[in-house]
Amino acid sequence: MDAAERDLFAQTLRKTMTAASGRALDTALADLGWSDLLTEVPDVAVPLTFGLLGETGAHAPLLNDVLLHAAGRAVGGTPPLPYTGGAWVVWERTDETGGALDGALPLRTVAAGDPVPLAAGRRALGWWLLGTGRAMLALARSHVLDRTQFGRPLASFQAVRHRLAETLVALDGAEATLVAAADDLGCLLAKAAAGQAALTAARHCQQVLGGIGFTAEHDLHRHVRRALVLDGLLGSARELTREAGALIREGRSAPRLVQL
Amino acid sequence: MNVTEFRSGLRLWLDRNDLSPGPDRSLDGQVAQLARVRRALHEADWMRYGWPAEVGGLGGPAVLRAVLGEEVASRGLAEPGIYSMIEVLAPTMISYARPELAAEMVPLLLGGREQWCQGFSEPGSGSDLASLTTRAVPRGGDWVVTGQKVWTSLAQYAARCVLLTRTAPGHDGITAFFVDMDTPGITVRPLRTMHGVDEFAEVFFDDVVVPADRMLGRPVDGWRLAMDLLPHERSTCFWHRVAHLYTRLDRLLTELAEPQDAGEDLALGAAYLALHTVRCRSHGTQRRLAAGARLGPETSVDKVLLAGAEQQLFDTARDLLPGVLELTDAPWREEYLYSRAATIYGGTAEIQRNIIARRLLDLGRD
Repeated sequence: MDAAERDLFAQTLRKTMTAASGRALDTALADLGWSDLLTEVPDVAVPLTFGLLGETGAHAPLLNDVLLHAAGRAVGGTPPLPYTGGAWVVWERTDETGGALDGALPLRTVAAGDPVPLAAGRRALGWWLLGTGRAMLALARSHVLDRTQFGRPLASFQAVRHRLAETLVALDGAEATLVAAADDLGCLLAKAAAGQAALTAARHCQQVLGGIGFTAEHDLHRHVRRALVLDGLLGSARELTREAGALIREGRSAPRLVQL
Repeated sequence: MNVTEFRSGLRLWLDRNDLSPGPDRSLDGQVAQLARVRRALHEADWMRYGWPAEVGGLGGPAVLRAVLGEEVASRGLAEPGIYSMIEVLAPTMISYARPELAAEMVPLLLGGREQWCQGFSEPGSGSDLASLTTRAVPRGGDWVVTGQKVWTSLAQYAARCVLLTRTAPGHDGITAFFVDMDTPGITVRPLRTMHGVDEFAEVFFDDVVVPADRMLGRPVDGWRLAMDLLPHERSTCFWHRVAHLYTRLDRLLTELAEPQDAGEDLALGAAYLALHTVRCRSHGTQRRLAAGARLGPETSVDKVLLAGAEQQLFDTARDLLPGVLELTDAPWREEYLYSRAATIYGGTAEIQRNIIARRLLDLGRD
């Protein structure tokens, strides 16, 4: 896929995700050839598709397909997925809303499940969390440019600017880890970085949005909820960070995962 | 010469030619070791790859210099901060000095024959570098420099100085010179610092005569010169520093006793994640540079990540090796203290966030 094809694909995806979510989006993406793209060009399809889910705020049960594909199984199912704290969930391919903090997602807790290949799923979720973080940053940025207090735009206050700068640093750092994620440890670290970055974005963006960001009429809360729920899926930033720590302590050396 | 060939050849050579430092950990010892390493690497040609033929280099991509510095840092052959100074000084000379001057001088630096310093900061001009007041006035065919610099690394060892002076008001009135440090009128006074290494100095200029042909670029180019060296600092120097910090994380891992509590793994993992993140970011920056991109304000992200990772690493070492840096003379003490400067030198953490807000987030003026 060359740059022009990729741009066209991204445009189509964005349009589709703006128009539909959930089951309807699952169907629309199937019509666009999602499963072929996942099989043939996963390195393009996964970052683009999951990143745009985050940016647009849409959702679809595509994580199932990423895991099934990585396990060498047919896509379209709903394997139980490990959740933080030793829980398991199923991401349904219906529009039944579940009891999760992000009520839009059809997540249902189940008693247990079989092991699933985690690396590809963590990487995909990392891209989604990154997109969610970027969506929050965009909302916060436009708010601080538009809103005036004390006769000045909020964007002119250094305390506000530095929070948003901190958010961009976290997101760009996480993106670098996602681009570099190639093996199990790389995907684990990338998911941890992306989860942490999305939570950083949630904290700073919520703060600079002030009162409006706490209302249900502003979109921020949807992204905050999504970040919190996705962070726990296939291991939270905290769990994964601890796991990485245990790994290097036992190995007595910190792997250098990217080389010039 | 590609990266893989270069790295494997270099490693083989370093395995056979032991350049490990001796027991002298003083600054004199470190500077002597640095000169020894540069000289040996230059004579064996490794230090010449990635530099243009005009300054005695053997050409090839600049990324080879990052590979060389990583190997030097990983093996602990030279202190990475002072080793990496070539990465800002030599490119500045190549871009701004008369070609004959660059051809004559740069090999002296790369070959370990001389140390050079960079006279930028002043007592009244730290973060606000453009307000510098060290002035240069024309006299006959020469320029006469008067003023004071501070935080000048290795000035007491330096044979030359890349010096920023004021020749007119404003950003356009900053002019750079390449000054011989043995010129009459220059006084160097090392600064005592918190970490106990007198790496920085104050430099006083009292009617110092500098020949006109030592001007770097034109009289208006000083500010651009200062800005142009940031991308060098934030690509190759950062890669070296990250490699150095990984060696410190490894050292921490080998010194740890049995874990005392579950929080230890979390702290270790967080320190590792921060280092991994800046390594990935710096890797991307190296790739963009290799592809011919012009680096700009986005390197402030690299800077914030690096400074944060460095301080987090040494904070973690202090937490997980209780009492070691307070009660023993292990290197952790000096390194921990030095890490406090990471959010100050090379543009403070606050200046970086200002740049990110203004230039990357386009938030307008503050």
